[in-house]
Amino acid sequence: MMNRTTLTLLAALLAAPFVAPPPASAEDAAAATPAAEMTVQQILDAIDANMVFESRTTTMTMTVKGKKRDRVFEMISFGRGKDDSAMEYLSPAREKGTKMLKLGDDMWMYMPSVDKVQKISGHMLRQGMMGSDLSYDDMMASDEMAKMYTPKLLGSEDVDGRPAWKIELVANDDTVAYPKRTQWVDKELFIPVKQELFALSGMLVKSWTMSKIMEFEGGRKFPTYMEIVDEVKADSRTILEFGDMTFGVELEDEKFSQRWLERR
Amino acid sequence: MNLFRLAFLNATRNTTRSLLTAGIIVGGTALFIISISWLDGVFNQLLGTASETSGHVRVVTPGYAERAALNPQDENIDDVAPVLAAVRSNSAVTAAYPIIETGGTLSVGDEIGDVFGSVIGAPAEYFLEKADYDAQLVQGRWLEEGKDELVLGYKLAKRTGAKIGDEVVVLGATQDGSMSPVKGTLAGIVRGGGPVDRRVFVDYAKAEYMLDVPNGAMKVIVYGEDFEDAGDLAASLSAMPALSELAIDDWSALPPWSQSVGMMGTIRFVIMFMVAFLAGLGVWNTMMMSVLERTHEIGVLRAMGMTRPGAVFLFLFEGIAIAILGGIGGVIAGVLPTLYMETQGFVYPESIMEKVPFRVPDTLYADLTMEIVVLAFVTALITAVIGTILPALRAASIQPDTAMRRN
Repeated sequence: MMNRTTLTLLAALLAAPFVAPPPASAEDAAAATPAAEMTVQQILDAIDANMVFESRTTTMTMTVKGKKRDRVFEMISFGRGKDDSAMEYLSPAREKGTKMLKLGDDMWMYMPSVDKVQKISGHMLRQGMMGSDLSYDDMMASDEMAKMYTPKLLGSEDVDGRPAWKIELVANDDTVAYPKRTQWVDKELFIPVKQELFALSGMLVKSWTMSKIMEFEGGRKFPTYMEIVDEVKADSRTILEFGDMTFGVELEDEKFSQRWLERR
Repeated sequence: MNLFRLAFLNATRNTTRSLLTAGIIVGGTALFIISISWLDGVFNQLLGTASETSGHVRVVTPGYAERAALNPQDENIDDVAPVLAAVRSNSAVTAAYPIIETGGTLSVGDEIGDVFGSVIGAPAEYFLEKADYDAQLVQGRWLEEGKDELVLGYKLAKRTGAKIGDEVVVLGATQDGSMSPVKGTLAGIVRGGGPVDRRVFVDYAKAEYMLDVPNGAMKVIVYGEDFEDAGDLAASLSAMPALSELAIDDWSALPPWSQSVGMMGTIRFVIMFMVAFLAGLGVWNTMMMSVLERTHEIGVLRAMGMTRPGAVFLFLFEGIAIAILGGIGGVIAGVLPTLYMETQGFVYPESIMEKVPFRVPDTLYADLTMEIVVLAFVTALITAVIGTILPALRAASIQPDTAMRRN
């Protein structure tokens, strides 16, 4: 269950909407046990109840704040199941029509200016997507990666004045992008509001905060604002804002096919 | 005067030994002339060729200069037009061009390939009149203005299998790190050795788009009348207020030349030292033999009134006489083959030149100067003096009575 939570944290928030077994509401998940008595496993279950969904469409605005200039990207994203997602860039003009498709562990990118599909693999997975602080690997986080982590409840801390659990996730396999993560989970909302990602050496690689948590149909709570800082890059941070977000929508199969990817 | 005559006569007494000593000096002097002339010729030729490609002076942002080895794409000149205008207003500047250097993977056909190439975008005038790339075309033609084309280095064309007329896609990145693909029809293939064969040549506008630096440049390269005056040109440009916020360096301050110039001085010194040491050792050996053979004779001369300094000078003059003879012979033996290498040159095997990390001429030539000849001759004389000193001192220290008792 912890692994599904990690999946949620990375992929679902990044435009890769997942379809998982219909989750119980956060309230249901947490109702049985008072927050103070919850185990780390129950905390992760409650997070899943908020973050895991069957399908979703959303618009997103990604602002990459660089040393010399800021760039703003607008995207629309479609998600189905835990493995499939599709995303299209709507602006700026230079990137308009660029599409990304994730099917299982594979990811492709369509580049309209040269009418080519590039498979994103190997070292490219860890490069910044569109020069942002988010890597393609971050986008591709899935159950398989999540299963590599073991959770440990470190205690409680306040984040922005709100009580949160501090949870450590340690990878069972050192080959994952981030062998160690630390998350702070809001005790009332059951949303990971902050996380730190570490390299094998123990060096902090990325800091990630989530806020502007909104309530959706069925009591689902979801963050609509994220700020990611690549601690290795100088003077850079990325802000991801979610716009029109709808859960449980019908999505046609064509959306998750190479044909959609290459359609102009 | 008598000492000179006696020294000269002594030198001719054992002709075999004297010729052997002179031969050592001939070899050393000739080797000196050949190696230094060759070294200077090749180095200056490489510098000349490289300076035509890389410019006499480089203008970049301070951030780029700090991490130049990494070719930081985001450390570019945002608005290159005023920089070019300022540079060109300097009377010592004969030409200046904006340059974009980046990289990307190449594909020909449907699949995205994994062959990496170094992409260079520059105005046509730079490609054709300065770097002379069109002269290195082995297939097709150079880029034509207004056409969506590119030119590939020989190795890239070979590895991707690209043919003239094929559409080639180069997947690079913008200055911010976004994927940035460009495509063009393959117009030509160049073969120039070194990095030239691994390059993708595109017109400036295409490189500008690829890196997403509208009106920008990675660097401005500047030419003066002579690359040897680049230091003065760089200083002159640095003094211009309009360029005060940029990093301006002449070629000799930039890698690989910044290290190479110092290394050349070291190599020169090592060659000089080795030649002098070996020749000195030879002279010392033969003169020492001469002293040992003539111990009895020295004793007689000393008993007849020859002073200690007289004995020293006797052998010193003998050594110098042999050195002059050997030096003249060495100059002749060194100058003749060097003149041949200076006029005919030497064509290096391609396999060697491909490993050199910069463009190299097809044929390399020696550069013989009077300075080298004089230096070689003087070195021969000094070597002879140093090699003779110890045997001469030994001769002077011989006691007449002891020496005369020896047979």
